[in-house]
Amino acid sequence: MRKSTFLIFAGGLLLASLAWVILTPVLFPFAQSADKAVAAHPGFQAPGFSLETPAGDIVSLSDHNGQPVLVFLWASWCPICKGAMPDLETVYQDYADQGFEILAVDMAFQDTLSTAIEYFQTEAYSYTMLIDRDGQMAQDYQMHGLPTSILVGPDGTVLDVTIGSGMSAGYLSVQLDQVFAIAEGE
Amino acid sequence: MFPIIDIGPLAFQAGGMIQILSLLFGLWFTLRFANNMGTNGDAIENNLLLGLLMGIVGARLGFLLQNPSIMADNPLSIISFTPTMLDIPFGLLAGALVIYVSFQRSHLPLWPTLDTLSPLVILLFAGAHLANFATGNNFGLPTTLPWGVSLWNATRHPVQIYALILSAALLIWLLIRTRFLKYTNNHHSGLIFTQTLAGLALITVVTRALVADKAPLLGLDLIQAIAWIVLLASLGLLYWFQYGKPNHIRVFLSLGSNRNPREQTYKASQDIAKFAKILNRSSLYETADIRPNHAGETYINRVLEVETDLSYPELIERTKAIESNHGRQLDDKEDVPMDIDILTYGNQVFVMPSGSAIPRQGLTKHRYVALPLAEIAPDFRHPATGTAIEDILKHLDEQEQPVQKITEVENGT
Repeated sequence: MRKSTFLIFAGGLLLASLAWVILTPVLFPFAQSADKAVAAHPGFQAPGFSLETPAGDIVSLSDHNGQPVLVFLWASWCPICKGAMPDLETVYQDYADQGFEILAVDMAFQDTLSTAIEYFQTEAYSYTMLIDRDGQMAQDYQMHGLPTSILVGPDGTVLDVTIGSGMSAGYLSVQLDQVFAIAEGE
Repeated sequence: MFPIIDIGPLAFQAGGMIQILSLLFGLWFTLRFANNMGTNGDAIENNLLLGLLMGIVGARLGFLLQNPSIMADNPLSIISFTPTMLDIPFGLLAGALVIYVSFQRSHLPLWPTLDTLSPLVILLFAGAHLANFATGNNFGLPTTLPWGVSLWNATRHPVQIYALILSAALLIWLLIRTRFLKYTNNHHSGLIFTQTLAGLALITVVTRALVADKAPLLGLDLIQAIAWIVLLASLGLLYWFQYGKPNHIRVFLSLGSNRNPREQTYKASQDIAKFAKILNRSSLYETADIRPNHAGETYINRVLEVETDLSYPELIERTKAIESNHGRQLDDKEDVPMDIDILTYGNQVFVMPSGSAIPRQGLTKHRYVALPLAEIAPDFRHPATGTAIEDILKHLDEQEQPVQKITEVENGT
């Protein structure tokens, strides 16, 4: 390529791309696109749900407005879920008095509910077990694998979604420390 | 969105699996390129994998150092095989540092190594975007276009796929340009990497506009602004590489002759001095001709270190002219009045489809080249691999025909 051709090409490319960079905020205003929109993804509002406990009470996510909530999707046939649940219990014991709540939703539409309830009661977990009978809640949360852990902030915003074994006691408590630090700051 | 890939009874995190696959494919491309360019693929691969490992370890350590309570509660969490509890910026920093230090320690040259890594860089970039598509991260703005994808409660631009398609186009361009990683097809190290970098920066500038979550800074998107600066810098480098005038380039030339060799060698040195400043000349070295019908005949070789402002193509032209003035017929393999090989040209590393390659392969293949080179440049390192001349000599086959130093360098010749 001749020197002058290169200079024209490079200069044109730089100017056009600079114009694109400057026009981007004009053409595509930086709306906080996630504001108010509902989705199970960090930055969005957590999809609401009202589900039954094994005792037959109805619990809604909105009952816990103002509290951080861990929504934990699990099934009794899932060893990784059952591996994580004692960890959740440890963290729950530490943070429950600050208002932290865990809603462990059993995917009853693809689980044997009696086995799940028996497991949950035998292990004597002190957090709340809920039952998703028709899979609607799983669908709203775009559940792709178990366990799926969704940490919801006090304002209802999704803070973290972890699929698989990553929601350990250490990781969860670090996130809760941050949530409570921000809440205190406000 | 497909964050989990089920293969039989096994479930894989799609994001991680895509990243690993793109790393493996990229390494395969890079090793092929290294092999054809003559750079040290094994050292590059080993140092990269070491950097990757240390990056992952660093990311975990960084997270735990910032949250020491986890270690106190559960020391085993340091080795838990989960993709959480990672401080990504800290890990990137640690990995980059390890790679930098280990590349330095292996004496890998900067630009040829980066050229070799170009296909890997493109594949990692493409893999990151495909992984984001799988996990639904870095999602696009809402759109009414027919190819919009349904994600996070809206029909959105599949912006990760836009970037994937554009980086695939960049990879195809690289493969065509290098004839499937066989040639660098230019005379300057670093061109391929810089062009790759410019391409990736341009893709980022273009596609970032359609990403929903921007990083606002002074009314602009920070990532887009950084990408534009990278584009500016890489175009500047490209200009300098392609149109900068050669200035005091150090060149090693190997002279060889089997007809009146002493006389021819002295005369060729004088001819070379007309267009290049001779800095050093080796002694003459005599090598027996081992071809069956040449018993008793010898070659004489010498290596010159010169400094020139000629470009590589100009230099080739001049040396070919000297060869033919000395009566060399290129198709005559028996009678070689004068053969001048350009062993190195500055720090450049390139391979052209015409067959010319810098550094020349003979440098690491023949004792009658490496020995005189070592005499005048004992600290010499191979510009492509960083190998020291003493190690090159050690690896040369001891069985090759004996090479004998016959004269000390004489003043004024």
